[in-house]
Amino acid sequence: MCKLLRVGSASTVWKMLLMFLFSGVTFGATGLGAMLLMILLSSTHLGKDASAKHGISVSESSRLGGVAIAIVVIIYIAGLSAISPYTPGLMRNDDFLYLWGAVFFCCSLGFAEDIKPDFLTPTLRLMAKFAVFGALFWLAPTFIPKSLGISVIDFLLSVPFLGWALVTVFAVGFINALNMADGANGLVPGIALASFAVFFAEYGRPMDGALLFACSIFFFFNVISGWYFLGDTGSYGLGAVLLGYGLLGVVDGHFSAGFMAALFCYPCTDFLVSITRRWRAGRSPFSADNGHLHNRLHQFIKVRVKSGVMANSLTGLVVSGSTSGVVLCAYLADVLPSDSELWYLLFAVQVLLYLTTLRYLTSIQPKTQYADPA
Amino acid sequence: MRIILLFIIAMGLIWVGVLESGASSVNDFKHHASGKTLDKQSSIRRFLSVGFVGDLVVKKIISDGRRTIILKGNENFLAPGEVSTDHVDN
Repeated sequence: MCKLLRVGSASTVWKMLLMFLFSGVTFGATGLGAMLLMILLSSTHLGKDASAKHGISVSESSRLGGVAIAIVVIIYIAGLSAISPYTPGLMRNDDFLYLWGAVFFCCSLGFAEDIKPDFLTPTLRLMAKFAVFGALFWLAPTFIPKSLGISVIDFLLSVPFLGWALVTVFAVGFINALNMADGANGLVPGIALASFAVFFAEYGRPMDGALLFACSIFFFFNVISGWYFLGDTGSYGLGAVLLGYGLLGVVDGHFSAGFMAALFCYPCTDFLVSITRRWRAGRSPFSADNGHLHNRLHQFIKVRVKSGVMANSLTGLVVSGSTSGVVLCAYLADVLPSDSELWYLLFAVQVLLYLTTLRYLTSIQPKTQYADPA
Repeated sequence: MRIILLFIIAMGLIWVGVLESGASSVNDFKHHASGKTLDKQSSIRRFLSVGFVGDLVVKKIISDGRRTIILKGNENFLAPGEVSTDHVDN
């Protein structure tokens, strides 16, 4: 029992107590069950990552976080739909059917990679994602926004084939951006948590509630222990859901494109800055490096905080909290209507903050051969 | 063997919340139809099953489900004493 639950040192016992306390207070018996399930999955040998192989981790961790989230969500939604005929199901219309099909495919793609790393070549994975999202937007063109508030882009989106191609490229880029940002405890889970909280507050769909619940438990686990990563299953799957919800939110007019830009500012900005940095250094835009803002910030925090896990989690919390967390708070406090174009201003401030912080941290830290242009 | 037992416990605990959410949804419809309000005991049970954040989530799911089903026209809530026209013999 102790070995299974990793109970060994006093710090491990404290971490477990904290995790069960947070999950129990916020989500009761169900939260305790989900936390226990996640601990059990994290202790299996399947999908184990060596220390420092993934992002800025300092301990051996499991990459099955996405699988754990999927299991909890499926149990909750399947059970709720079976018990209560008054709960609207997943397939509200054909668009949702196609969306969940795309999400399932993305999860499967990530799962194959989590179980057997490099099972598929990066090119094959990229082509598969293009095929999935190309098919999704072809079958369900309602996902393609008509107006983003920027006249040039609006004109391009109004041309049928061009609009489809642009949104497909954006979708694949978004999924990769989220996967690339998954490098610190609580970073992508924090962004996903804030986003599902916004979607659930706006729509109240059972699936959003189940995702909010599963992401909250995973967030507590990830931030407190650092034993778990989302893995490719999680980053691809959650990325596909967030992309679909975000596009539908903009299309139906509940959210402005500026709101979505501010909500997903970190992964999108970091992705664009990273591929530009690699291109300038003469490397492949998709080659891994340690020049992301969260890597730089982690270096900064690490020398000031004793615990490696705490430095990692603080990095994730600072990044997700100062981007998506701020948007969630502003949305809940009703600072601006969610369909206002003024959210672009917040997005601009976030980008400026990102660039200023990155520039400052780069200037005070030594150059690395992988991160900086020669 | 122990891992299976712990796995069963985990599943059981998750199902506590699933059952509570489902039962609350069904009760909500029955109570609205009969004009009753939810009793305090069921609120405490729900709090223990799904916690204080979960309680807010379940309430929102129930209210959204009710609204969606009414909009689709699959279900009508009746005021106390009101008779549905579907069941009135002509």
